[in-house]
Order: sequence, then C-alpha cells, then structure tokens
Amino acid sequence: MSVAPISEAVTESVPYSKKQMSEARAANASSSGLLILLILVLPIMALLPAWPGRAFAQQPAPQFDDLAARAAAARDQGNLPLAIDLYTQAEQLKPDWVEGWFYLGQLQYSTDSYPAAINAFNHVLQLQPNAPPAMALRGLCEFETGAYDDALRDLEEAVQKGAANEPRNEQIIRFHYAQLLARASRFQGALLQYQFFATKNIDDPDLLLGLGLAGMRDPILPKDAPPEARDLLMAAGHAGYVFLSGDSQSADTLFNNLFARFPKGPGLHFFYGSLLSMHGPDLAIPQFQREVAVDPSNSVAHAILAYSLMFAGRFAEARPEAEASLAAAPDNGVALVALGRALAETGEPQRAAELLNQVLKTEPDNLEAHIGLAVVYARTGKREEAYRERMVCLGLEK
Amino acid sequence: MSAWFALAWKSSSRRLAAAAGVGALVWLICAFATDQPELAKAAKPEAAPVTCATCHVGAASSYLHAPMRHALELPGANPVLEAHPNLTVQMGAYAYTVQTKDGKSTYTVTDGKDTMTLPIRWPFGQHSQTWVLEKDGNMYEGLVSYFHEIEGLGTTPGDNKLTPHNLTEAMGRKLDTTETNMCFNCHATNAVDGVKLTLDKLTPGLDCERCHAGSEQHRADAIHDNYTTVPKKLRTMDAEDAANFCGQCHRTWDTVVRNGWKGIIDVRFQPYRLENSKCFTGTDRRISCLACHDPHQQVNHDPASYDSKCMACHGEAKTSSAFPNIKTCPVATSKCTSCHMPKLELPGVHARFTDHMIRIVRAGDPYPF
Repeated sequence: MSVAPISEAVTESVPYSKKQMSEARAANASSSGLLILLILVLPIMALLPAWPGRAFAQQPAPQFDDLAARAAAARDQGNLPLAIDLYTQAEQLKPDWVEGWFYLGQLQYSTDSYPAAINAFNHVLQLQPNAPPAMALRGLCEFETGAYDDALRDLEEAVQKGAANEPRNEQIIRFHYAQLLARASRFQGALLQYQFFATKNIDDPDLLLGLGLAGMRDPILPKDAPPEARDLLMAAGHAGYVFLSGDSQSADTLFNNLFARFPKGPGLHFFYGSLLSMHGPDLAIPQFQREVAVDPSNSVAHAILAYSLMFAGRFAEARPEAEASLAAAPDNGVALVALGRALAETGEPQRAAELLNQVLKTEPDNLEAHIGLAVVYARTGKREEAYRERMVCLGLEK
Repeated sequence: MSAWFALAWKSSSRRLAAAAGVGALVWLICAFATDQPELAKAAKPEAAPVTCATCHVGAASSYLHAPMRHALELPGANPVLEAHPNLTVQMGAYAYTVQTKDGKSTYTVTDGKDTMTLPIRWPFGQHSQTWVLEKDGNMYEGLVSYFHEIEGLGTTPGDNKLTPHNLTEAMGRKLDTTETNMCFNCHATNAVDGVKLTLDKLTPGLDCERCHAGSEQHRADAIHDNYTTVPKKLRTMDAEDAANFCGQCHRTWDTVVRNGWKGIIDVRFQPYRLENSKCFTGTDRRISCLACHDPHQQVNHDPASYDSKCMACHGEAKTSSAFPNIKTCPVATSKCTSCHMPKLELPGVHARFTDHMIRIVRAGDPYPF
C-alpha cells in the first residue's frame, strides 16, 4: 500500500482549528444519532426475511474482503460507528492490513476515541514505519490525551517527512506543532510555524493566543493560559500576527502601543526583538536591550542580546551581556557560544576555545561553536585547524 | 621613492610635520609627487573646499575610476543608461522598456492591457545594472536588469524562479527594510543611519567615509591642524579582518555559511571563497584581500600581475625552510590564477566570476561547496 491514498483520505476529516473541530464533532454527534436510530430500528428490520444485515449476521465466518468493502462503504456514508466496528472485525481477520488500521485510527480520531486511535496508528507505524500521515495523526491524538512530549516527537518527525506539505493537512499539523514547540520552550521554532498562518491570512483567536504565548516565551498551551493574562497575550499575538503577515509598519505601531500600555511588561520587547531578528540582528538588538533594561535578571534576554550582538559583529558589546547571562545560568549554550566568539575576536583565544569546546561536548553539531573555533584558529595562525573547522561547518550546513 | 621616504610615509603625519630642517624640506617637495597626505597648511588652496583629495591626492584620483566609487550612479550621470536610451525585452507575458531622455530614466512594464511606468532613481551597478524602484512608499528590485555582456535586459539575478501574477509583481520584487538597507549600504554612502534609510543624505557610490569611518571628522579636524582623529589604517588588517571587512558587502564566510548558500551562486562571495582555500591563514597579510586588490584602483585583469602575490608564499626559497608545508607548482611559474582561481560562468548573470577559492583544479571536478 502506498502512502499517498492514506494522505488523501485523512485530509478530508481533519480540521485545523477548534471551531472546525466543533463542526467535526457535531457531525460525529449526527452519526451517533444515526446509530441510536439504527439500534431501535434493527430489531424490527430483523423480522424481515430479506434484509441484508440479517443475512450478514447469519454468516458464521465473514470474509475479509466483504468486511473491508462494507467498512469502506460505511465510512463513505459517514456511518462512523459501523465503519469502526467493521474495520475492527476486518483487522481481527487480517492484522497486517495497513490501510484498515489507518482508517480505523482515523475514524477513532474523528470520534474522539484517542487512545484507541493511537493503538491503531501504532499498528500502522509498526507495519509501515515511514508513514508521515499516520505519524501526524498519532501526534494529534497524543496531543488530545495530554501526552505532549510524544505528540511533539511525532509531529516533528511527521513535518520533517513532509506531512505538512499537503495543503489540507498543513493547518492542523502546524497549529498543534506550534503549540507544542512553545510548550517545549522552543519559541523561535513556534513563531516560524505561526508565521505560516499569518502569511496565509488565517486568523483565529486560538492562533493569536498561541502566538502571544510563544512570543512572550510562556511555555504553556493556549488552553492553560490564565484568564487575567489573555488580553495581553491576545494583543501581543495580534501585533505579532500583523508583523508576520508582512505589515511591519502597522506591527510597529501595535507593539509601541503595547509598550506604552505595559511599560514594565516582561517579554514584550523580547517578542518584538525575536520577530525583528528574522530580518537581521541590527533591528532586533535595541529591543533586546530594552528587555534587559525592563528585567535585568532575565538571563535568557542577556544571552539572546549577546548572541545578536555577536551576529552583528559587535563582539566587545556582546561579551558583558554573555557574561551577565552566564553568571545566572552557567550552562546557557547560547551565552557560551556568544562569549566564546566574543573572546576569540577580542584577544582571548585560549579561553574562547575552552568555552566553545565546552559547548561542542553537549552539542557536537553546534554550527556557531564550530564557526567560533574556526575563528580562534584563524586568529592564532593555525591554518590547518582553521581549515578543518571550516570544512566541519560546511558539512554541518549540508 | 627612496627607502627613507617610504619610512617617512609610515610614520605619523604629526611627527612628520614636526620634523625640522632638511627632512621637512624634502618631505614638502616630495609630497607633491606622491599620493600620501600632504599636510602643510600652506599647500592647501585657500579658495577650494578641503576634501579628502586635498591631501590624499593619489588615492583620491585613482579612486575616481574604481568600481566601488561607481556602485551607484544616479540617472543623469549614469553612463549605462545614457548609452542605452531605449532598452526593451519581452519576458513571458510582460514587456519591459527602460527609456532615458534628458537625463531622466523610466522603467515600464506592460501586459498588453495595463501599463506601469516608474521613474528610475536608484541604478545599482557600474557595468551590469539593477534598478531599485519606489512604489507607494515601498521599494522594489526591478525584475529585469541590464547586462553588460549581452548589452540588453534580462531577468534580475536571483529572481528567475519568480512568477509574477500581476503588474506590480512583474515590475519588481518587493524588498523588506533589511534588504533595502543592505542594498543602499553597499552601493552608496550615508544612505543608512543605524537601521533607518537616509536617502536624503545619500552620496552615490562608496565615498571615503564608507570604508574609512571617521574620515569626515578627520577632515574637519585636519583643517584646524588637528591630526589626532585619524581613521583606522585598513591596510594593517590581517587576512581574517580584511575578509570580514570586505565581506560586509562581498559577504563574509559566516554570512554565507549561516544562510546555507550553496553552489555556483556563491562564487560572487569572494571573501567566503577565499577563506575556503587551504592556504588561507587568518593572521597572514599575504593572503588578505588587500594583498592582491587595492580598492582605490581598477581591478587588474592580467593574471600575470598576481604572480608575485602567489610567489610571496609559494616561491621556492620560501618553501624550503620557513614554510615547509607550502608547495611549489610543478606545472608553471606564471599566471597562477589562470589555473588555481578559474573564472566561472554564473548562470543567468551573463558574467564570469573569478573563483577566489584557491585550489588545485582538476578536470571534471564538481564546483566545491
């Protein structure tokens, strides 16, 4: 079985937002109503000698092909409970039927039976490990069951393998992926996912809330956002959304309004700086500097400011910021890289090499650490070592 | 020039001016025959405004013809536009016309039904040329450019994958603030202040101040015999610093790697390519950009003229003792760059670029990195 038909099938019932989810649930409720009606009507129908359902029931050993065909028909007709029942029976006869497990999982996802759906997708992925749609759907189910780390792992891999390339799948996958990235404190990655919605002009309160949380670096899910913080988060999310949609002038006005309303609000300048950094460090640095001024104890802000200054080639300025960050958080990799590079450029190559190698012990593929080491060697006349580090960098970026 | 005089050049101007007797006399006489700062107040023409060229005669006069000086030339003083007053090309569904008349140039695009005409205010490039256009307060990079090699219009490099859906998109690619700033910052002087575009203060092309930060202050102070604010001497930069300095516009190694730019397109990024060379040593001025290129001069296209630069390291005497790992070429002793720095055609750009990644090039080898 190829992956493509699965991908096409899954997309028909996958919404992107909670509103669409509600609509899907309403459709499911209709299906449940139909089931109740059928339960009431069936005994009556059973009295009729020629009713096909009765003929089916009388067969002691239903054939797989017949079950599969009837399951597909039930699915096509929107009779989800019957389809689930038939797919389950079919899988008992033929447990290696990948397509059946996939549709079963999809149907169970559609009826909010998430643990059962996860079980079905587990079967799919055991039989066919490289099935991004199944991985994505399992990730979405895991999200609903609260298994957020598993969900992030699955959605991340699914996105890497192209599950979000299909336009009909993209919205729901990216929205959940963005929420999970922010929850895992991978805020910049989350902003990039939210950018997709802004560039497509897909607007939704949940999206704005999620974007506000990611921008303000609050590692919680939108559903867990405290009510008293929602106004600020939504407003920040809106400003971020406008920026990501490409209207940087309006976004600037919105952010400045927010700064006026919340002059001591931690995270706001950081958010705007993070967005501006997509266009280079020079624009972002003043915002990070203001963030540090608002909250001098914010070691992350110091680290990001140091890193931005390093990118801008302002090494002497980067150094104290990196040191301030490391004073509070000695293992901050970003600050270590920034300080290492700053030291390399300001005449302390030995200490620079120590710090950069310290980073590489835990992150062997850290590009900036390797770039910094190349600089250390270049600045100390170690031609062959510098060449080797440069080649490592070129290999990494591939 | 005598050895003494060469030494005198290297000494500070103040010390030189303070030197008395014969030395000062010799210096005053010789200053007229050199391109070094001439600091005697009496030598400055009273009526003429004091410029960098007043003292730095040689550098200033040769720089008048250097490519960087002409990185941006406004319409009315733009040789390319003046020499080609009526350029046209059909690109897919759109027809483009670039017309110049009475010192004013316009860029027109039409789909046959609708037409958009914009004035050309910012022509970037000396030989080949791309126009930055303004529409509704936004900046656009014209979707067609002039190419010296074909003496005509073609798709602007980097835009060949764009498919315009309307007349505005066919006119050009919208530039964001950062990209706009980068364009102007590398093709003009005083065009950007921090992160703000300051086109009202712009000087076309790269003026002294663009590379020699502080030269304006130095000029103002020098008028009052104050020589304490001399800009940093760039020729003392080592190879690493020079690559980073020139890379501000020609792209640094860091920039190219961070952006993941790959393939033949990066042959334009000379500092990046140079730093990929096995022989690049950050502390060695013999491999710096400035070892081969004087930014105040036109580029020398004679391969033989660079031989002495290569031989500064690869000369036989050097390899024997102090530089045991440096090889001599078994094939030739001249025109090193013709083999080791091949000229490569960049698709769509209608131009050949010297690959600054110095290496042993073998037939059939793919383009490295």
